[in-house]
Amino acid sequence: MLRSSLIKVLNGAKVSPKHVCVTFRAASDVAKKPEKIEVFIDDQPVLVDPGTTVLQAAAQVGVEIPRFCYHERLAVAGNCRMCLVEVEKSPKPVAACAMPVMKGWRIKTNSDMTKKAREGVMEFLLVNHPLDCPICDQGGECDLQDQSMAFGSDRSRFTDIQFSGKRAVEDKDLGPLIKTVMTRCIHCTRCIRFASEVAGIDDLGTTGRGSDMQIGTYVEKFFMSELSGNVIDLCPVGALTSKPYSFTARPWEIRKIDSIDVFDAVGSNIVVSTRTNEVLRILPRVNEEINEEWLADKSRFAYDGLKRQRLITPMLRDNKNELTPVDWEAVLLTVCKVLQQAGPNVAAIAGGMADAETLVAVKDLLNRLGSELTCTEHVFPMDGSGTDLRSSYLLNNKISGAEEADAILLIGTNPRFEAPLLNSRLRKTYLHNEAQIAVIGPKVDLTYEYEHLGNNATAICNVLNDNCPFSSTLKNAKKPLIIVGADLLKRADGAAILSLVQSIAAQTCNKVEGWKVLNILHKVASQVAALDIGYTPGVSKIREAKPKALILIGADEGAINKEDLPEDCFIIYQGHHGDLGACMADAVLPGAAYTEKQATYVNTEGRAQQTLVAVSPPGLAKEDWKIIRALSEIVGHKLPYDNLNEIRDRLDEVAPHLTRYGEVEGANYFKQAAQLLQEDEEKTLDDSPIDLKIKELQDYFMTDSISRASPTMAKCVQAVLKQKESKY
Amino acid sequence: MAKFFGLDKLAYLFRIMKENGGIRSSLYKLYRMDDLKMGTLMGIDKCGNKYFENNRYFFGRNRWVEYAPKYGTDYDASQVPSEWYGWLHYKTDLTPDKDPSRPIYKWMSEPTENMSGFSGAYIPYSTTKPKIEAWVPPKPS
Repeated sequence: MLRSSLIKVLNGAKVSPKHVCVTFRAASDVAKKPEKIEVFIDDQPVLVDPGTTVLQAAAQVGVEIPRFCYHERLAVAGNCRMCLVEVEKSPKPVAACAMPVMKGWRIKTNSDMTKKAREGVMEFLLVNHPLDCPICDQGGECDLQDQSMAFGSDRSRFTDIQFSGKRAVEDKDLGPLIKTVMTRCIHCTRCIRFASEVAGIDDLGTTGRGSDMQIGTYVEKFFMSELSGNVIDLCPVGALTSKPYSFTARPWEIRKIDSIDVFDAVGSNIVVSTRTNEVLRILPRVNEEINEEWLADKSRFAYDGLKRQRLITPMLRDNKNELTPVDWEAVLLTVCKVLQQAGPNVAAIAGGMADAETLVAVKDLLNRLGSELTCTEHVFPMDGSGTDLRSSYLLNNKISGAEEADAILLIGTNPRFEAPLLNSRLRKTYLHNEAQIAVIGPKVDLTYEYEHLGNNATAICNVLNDNCPFSSTLKNAKKPLIIVGADLLKRADGAAILSLVQSIAAQTCNKVEGWKVLNILHKVASQVAALDIGYTPGVSKIREAKPKALILIGADEGAINKEDLPEDCFIIYQGHHGDLGACMADAVLPGAAYTEKQATYVNTEGRAQQTLVAVSPPGLAKEDWKIIRALSEIVGHKLPYDNLNEIRDRLDEVAPHLTRYGEVEGANYFKQAAQLLQEDEEKTLDDSPIDLKIKELQDYFMTDSISRASPTMAKCVQAVLKQKESKY
Repeated sequence: MAKFFGLDKLAYLFRIMKENGGIRSSLYKLYRMDDLKMGTLMGIDKCGNKYFENNRYFFGRNRWVEYAPKYGTDYDASQVPSEWYGWLHYKTDLTPDKDPSRPIYKWMSEPTENMSGFSGAYIPYSTTKPKIEAWVPPKPS
């Protein structure tokens, strides 16, 4: 996909838009490393750090030892025994996942003893595992299937001719997302470790011992976490499978398309599985910089919302005030007439799932019509430098950067539900880095302990003026981190709060090169791209301007309603779901959802990533920027791009980082931003309590037009509410 | 002598053409039905179709229907009403008007024409769920 012009190639810019850069952070602490020790894996010498396990050492030379319970991102359990290997001069085989290597060990991963040990373990596992692979959802992607083929014995000694039956375990009800067939469980305890370490919910555990051992929740209880879907991926067998995906498809039937998630501003990397032009499931894709290998439940399970409440044909409001389906020609001509009559009195509002291509096309069109009224639904203070300096609206320190912090201040945000994968990083920092975490805002359950400093702007002042113990912790910390929620800055005194936070950030002693203290956490996927392109955050300008025509690009949050607009204002809604925006529209242009277009999104760190086409848009729907391009030609201000490469060249002109896929374009003008903001006239602080939209799990599931249309998400909300009523 | 030269065939042709209403009308009928025949009119049904019999032709071709002019060239076997169906297909030798024993019940419906290929064609409803459910705009209150 060579899409850049020759000049760019000569300049050495990245050529491929598919280029996804996964750079691993260099360990920043330069503590003196102890000497490496030499071990031999199948007579291959390898130098490893002391403390490395046998399994990791083997992985370094490319020898993969079979395992069920071991997982890189979880604590070592060492209970499945599948990784037994022979070590020379050791009388017994050792569990490779748990045993640290000693100097000069000669490890044999393919000896007779190792093979016999594996066959024995596999035999014990299979003796109590049902032979229901043909009806099991894990079939085809099952670790037990694969490893019994590769490492199991070639003949069976299982002779249950009396049909006395294998071990059978009652299924557990873990809620509407996870289906359990506990008879298939091999007790690897990965799900338990995930729940208590990553998700921070100590609900899962084991009861009984020996062949009576069971995984469960002790009392009947749903697995209430925003990361619960990950246990499905973790389960090496078919004990935990996806309920919405059950009995839908086999892994070899589906096409897998790499894409980007747009349900929050994190921009998790996903794989969209499709068959016969239908999205069947969404799985995470490993990206160490963003989502590691986890995925939040909304991103994973809200895909059934893509099949409901869709706009599949253009619509116009007829003389009976009803929206009626029409063809593209009619709707484009009508909209064109409206735009020509409105002249420069046109405005546009971008919603939370608008892609960068559409945003730039709409802005170009409106500018050609003589209007500057391009706004986003979500507010950001425009005082001082406003959004001119990127550093004032990005999560500057990156998502992975949160792992190194030692003092974290969260202001007016609930990262657990606004960005679940950032929260899992914060929890990791809390657990492994012993970071001190403080919160200003409503008291919410973040899955880790924190110091609650208050719920109003005074608390922020206290941190600034050293009136609370945490302020010295923050200011003396090596790597302090302040994360401000975009919701908080929506308030009338948002600018004053931002100014306060900037002052706190300036007070912290910045000892580490490249460490950025101030971070803004956005809630929607489109916001950063929109601000980069030059949209005005917030719709107050549109309320004042009283436009004659208003274009809504997937704006469904009700930032503006008909009462705010003049009577004769013609509302054009372009998007993929029939929701609030389409209800108030006079003309509806059906667009494509994120699985149906190749589009650019910039996440809250400022990292541009692109989605790929997994399925085609339904019915008459078209890719969004193409609709705007077609409209511009009819209106008489033809936009100068005809295909994706040309519009991406235009993106490149506006902001070059928008097409540098996978890379973060850093921003560093904190001092200047703080100065500019302070130069502005004195702002008054409003001391009313800070409120958040999403406080508890039931608020998390349905937040946008896709998840509001999803039956699975509705079931989740019901299940959470039901669980809240239960006495456990 | 005339028979020897086949002039009787020619005379028969002229008789058929005369029966069918002259040269112009005969040519039109030949164009419309690819056939030109002469027979006794056995009856006319309520649609205006005419039913003929001529036992000079062999069995299978000795009974025929001439569709009403209103159908033009778009005639179709389903335009024969059910009471004439039996006579036309040799189920009975009695034409409907000569057959008083035929049962007539009030629940019997009028025969309907096969509309396949036209706007009135029968299309069975789909029993499969659509993959994509479209949004139905709410009615303005």
